[in-house]
Amino acid sequence: MTALEFHGVRVRLGRGRQAKEIVRGVDLEVPSGTVVGLVGESGCGKSTLARSAVGLVPLAAGHVVPGRRRAVQLVFQDPYSSLDPRMTVGAAITEALPRRRLFARPSARPPGAAAAEVARFLDLVGLEAAHAQRLPGHLSGGQRQRVALARALAARPEVVIADEITSALDVSVQGMVLNLVKDIQRELGLTLLFISHNLAVVRYVSDRVAVMSEGRVVEEGPVDEVMGSPRDPYTRTLLESVPRLR
Amino acid sequence: MRRLRTPLGFAAVASLAFLLFMVVLGPIIWAGEAVRTDTMALNQGPSAEHLVGTDGLGRDVLARVMVASRLTVGLALLATAIAVGGGLVIGGLPAVLGRRAGRLISGFIGLVVAFPGLLIALVLAVVLGSGGTSAALAIGLASVPAFARLTQTLAASVAGRDFVAAARVLGVGRVRMLFRHILPNIGEPLIVQATLGAGGALLAFAALSFLGLGVQAPDYDWGLLLNEGLNRVYLNPAAALAPGAAVALAGLAFNVLGEFAAQVFGGRATAAPAAGRSARPAPGDALTVEDLRVAYGDAEPVKGVSFSLEPGERVGLVGESGSGKSLTALAVAGLIEPPGVVHGTISSGETAMVFQDPMTSLNPALRVGTQLAEVARVHGRLSRKAAWERAVTRLTDVHIAAAARVVRQYPHELSGGMRQRAMIAMGLMGSPRVIIADEPTTALDVTVQKQILDLLREVSDRSGAAILLISHDLAVVGQLCSRVLVMYAGVIVEDLTVERLRAGPAHPYTRALLASVPDMAADRSQPLATIPGRMPSPAERLPGCAFAPRCPLADSRCHASPPPLENGVRCWHPVAGESVTVAEKGSEG
Amino acid sequence: MAIQTSHPWAAYLGRRLMRFLLSLALLVTATFGMVHVIPGDPVRAALGVTASPELIAARTAELGLDLPIWEQYGRYVTGLFTGELGQSMVSGLPVAQTIADRLPYTALLALVAFAVVMVTAVPVGMALAAWTRGGRRRGLELVFTGVSGLLAVVPEFLLAVALIVVFAVTLELLPVADVTGAMGPEHYVLPALALAAGPAAALARIVRVEGLGVLSSDYLRTARAKRLPARLIHLRHALPNLLTGALTIGGLLISGLIAGSVLVENVFAWPGLGDAMVEAIKAKDYPVVQGVVLIYGGAVLLVNLAVDVALGKLDPRSTIRED
Repeated sequence: MTALEFHGVRVRLGRGRQAKEIVRGVDLEVPSGTVVGLVGESGCGKSTLARSAVGLVPLAAGHVVPGRRRAVQLVFQDPYSSLDPRMTVGAAITEALPRRRLFARPSARPPGAAAAEVARFLDLVGLEAAHAQRLPGHLSGGQRQRVALARALAARPEVVIADEITSALDVSVQGMVLNLVKDIQRELGLTLLFISHNLAVVRYVSDRVAVMSEGRVVEEGPVDEVMGSPRDPYTRTLLESVPRLR
Repeated sequence: MRRLRTPLGFAAVASLAFLLFMVVLGPIIWAGEAVRTDTMALNQGPSAEHLVGTDGLGRDVLARVMVASRLTVGLALLATAIAVGGGLVIGGLPAVLGRRAGRLISGFIGLVVAFPGLLIALVLAVVLGSGGTSAALAIGLASVPAFARLTQTLAASVAGRDFVAAARVLGVGRVRMLFRHILPNIGEPLIVQATLGAGGALLAFAALSFLGLGVQAPDYDWGLLLNEGLNRVYLNPAAALAPGAAVALAGLAFNVLGEFAAQVFGGRATAAPAAGRSARPAPGDALTVEDLRVAYGDAEPVKGVSFSLEPGERVGLVGESGSGKSLTALAVAGLIEPPGVVHGTISSGETAMVFQDPMTSLNPALRVGTQLAEVARVHGRLSRKAAWERAVTRLTDVHIAAAARVVRQYPHELSGGMRQRAMIAMGLMGSPRVIIADEPTTALDVTVQKQILDLLREVSDRSGAAILLISHDLAVVGQLCSRVLVMYAGVIVEDLTVERLRAGPAHPYTRALLASVPDMAADRSQPLATIPGRMPSPAERLPGCAFAPRCPLADSRCHASPPPLENGVRCWHPVAGESVTVAEKGSEG
Repeated sequence: MAIQTSHPWAAYLGRRLMRFLLSLALLVTATFGMVHVIPGDPVRAALGVTASPELIAARTAELGLDLPIWEQYGRYVTGLFTGELGQSMVSGLPVAQTIADRLPYTALLALVAFAVVMVTAVPVGMALAAWTRGGRRRGLELVFTGVSGLLAVVPEFLLAVALIVVFAVTLELLPVADVTGAMGPEHYVLPALALAAGPAAALARIVRVEGLGVLSSDYLRTARAKRLPARLIHLRHALPNLLTGALTIGGLLISGLIAGSVLVENVFAWPGLGDAMVEAIKAKDYPVVQGVVLIYGGAVLLVNLAVDVALGKLDPRSTIRED
């Protein structure tokens, strides 16, 4: 496993006069095998930063390590649009599997191998092998997120970025997905960047946390330190605003 | 297929049968009749021998109509094939070629598509000359821009979805993306439009032949027959109506097939009709609700809810999605529409509502001021000037800076937080006794959420209005309210103060809810509690307690009979006095 | 948040005008190119097989068809600015003259038909949306969908023929066009009806569907929560949002109406542009075809521009949206 590093990353979105710099110089490191949470409010650039790490948006400046394709995988927020409705679960995961040799045709692979791999990843996320034949339309939101996670893992990434993966789920399902993410991260020693606007969830999952505001990282450090004694005024405002029952 | 039993299904089958009959059997059965001339019976009207009469050479018109169907439909299908093929290629190019070239192509398509197809077809007919196949080419090419635009729009909407991005991250190439991900997802609407397009092509063909620009003699299609018939309409009107009817019926057949395909692919729900309302007597408490039920056909999302609010009291109504909390709020506000039916008694004073999504809840076509002022003008009978002045005052009351400018703006010009403040201000234009806020902060950032909750508290303190706050978030409710009602599967399962909630609720569901959501003090080394199973849907009716299948404390009594609401708890085994630690070791699932 | 210019309305108008001019350029080039793409010699085709080579040469020079193509294009475009549209190859009359003579008849017919469409479709569609919402009055919904579906599908020239058969031939109630020029209002009834029926039915359906969507929207729910009278709810809150969707389709329908008038004119022997164009196509009289297509195309573009401007006024958000 390697670390995820952002060095001086800037991202500009929009055309011509409407262009706006969304990410304005971010230096951030996710140490190998750890979970770093990224929090911020809407428009702060955390999702754009994630997309720049996987090549979905071009970098205006700076670079991201690792820069290789497929080394970083992204799990999206909306379970209802992150899976192709016309592909079975098995086909979606198979599409993610790495090709053995550079010019190998799918038929060159022994027939059972792909299915076995698919079953392995389904098991990893707590789904039965029989789910491979099903279409996403027949799965619940929580199950779909698990498939999305399996697909990301099947690509054998070095780094996984989870972008608001529980925000669209029901409260009772959220817990199950969070438990799963923690277990898998520990088991595989994944390097994980966990993005969310929910501070309590980020605190629960992460070892370190970074706070983003208006395209910049304003504070970063071990999660207890940042959430217990924040230094930046924005972080303080954020923490004060979190509704607490007790 | 069950769908075939609907009226549309029957119509679709009949249409297909009609088309097949005409095209396949028509020329076979009537071929002889169609060419037989009878100089003794020229231009006759309908008779027993010639159902629609004869033409200028004594030929049976009906027979000619039947024989012409193959050519007519065939040419129409050819034109459609050209249109769809060309449209797919040109419309699919932007997805494959990349941004610059794609924008150029789509810009060009946008310019051409403005011109009506028939006009382009006529121009092309000039260039290509008359005749059946040239006309088919003309009509086909004239429809390419429309199909290209459709393909492109559909492809673009699919391309914007997350699974396409996910495929890109996996390294899927452009061509495979087009064939494996994009085309299969746009196939269905394209088939529908192609079927409808075939009908359009048929009509366009008839038009061209009718004008003399399509099929030329000695070949004949329906359009040409229509032309012949029109020339002799005063002698034998039926000879003009018969080919016309054929064109209309065939066009209709294609349309019905297209609509049926759309229904098969889309899947439409049929609503059950109903009617009903509830009584709204005078106030006593700020709000009293007795045995409220809301039903939609067989389903009963709200199964008997009773509670009351004292003046100035702030009460939270908490539940997950499907618990019925939003419908309860809507019913209290009198906003349930048919086919929903409301039973029960609701009595309240003047009510103001704050909805969840201020972007969709404010009318995008009207200025903010108009939407505020009309409340005062309609109910307060204020003049236009006075109403607008009050609007500015209220906007200032909710801490919107530069209220005089904002009042003239449109909703899309305000930020999310400002819009929600404007909604609250709108509720304050009258003198509400109850403010019902349905998830007012769910769509907002956490810092804005705090401001809105503070504002609601301030409003309630100043005006004395009671607040009913609906939310799925116990912490949010804890910030604002003094009392909490917990809903599950359409009923209230617990009614407790926020202190009790902090100290340890009695109902197992409330406890499980508290334990499964991480808060800022959660123990990171423990897994989160999860609640196995799922909430019953509104159509399900369980004999006992609705939570029993998922409850760790359930016994046979719980499964058999529903517990009543007693001492604020609806449970046979309420938990006494223990606090809940987040990430309790509950049963995993 | 997008960067807003100080005058978003002006920027929007500017973009729309730009597009209008581009489309116009495309139209002009297409009408010019149309003639030059045709295989064979257009002059010979128009004058017929028996024409002498001298006549053909003379006509060719007269029409400037022996000049290089760029020069012809230049002449064509500059000619347009002065209203010079060439001469008919068959009759020798100036095309501009023919257009001037016939345009009023076509324009008047189109306008009458358009008025009929708007006056019937929008109120009917809105009323039906309010009446059939939430599954009410299923019978009415079925009747409406059936009748409007039928009318929307039957093409205007068929309707025209059917109307003639019923009203003119059988019942002898209304006259068909009298080419001697005495055109009273009763002559407009059948052609306008034939032109308007289809688009009116289609628009009424669209208005109803849009209306159903608007009436169940969140902001209508807010309006009901404010206990506003039905008049305000429907006219002030629902109508503007409904019109934006209906207007877009309405624009398309009007363009279709312009095209459909060609056919209706043919059926009724109406002395308008469409009739002239069809005759010109058959006679291969290309300058006339060019001129008429230019007028029709220009009319369509103007309608689109008007719709865009109206949409910009109705839906303030659309002025910011880039295309």
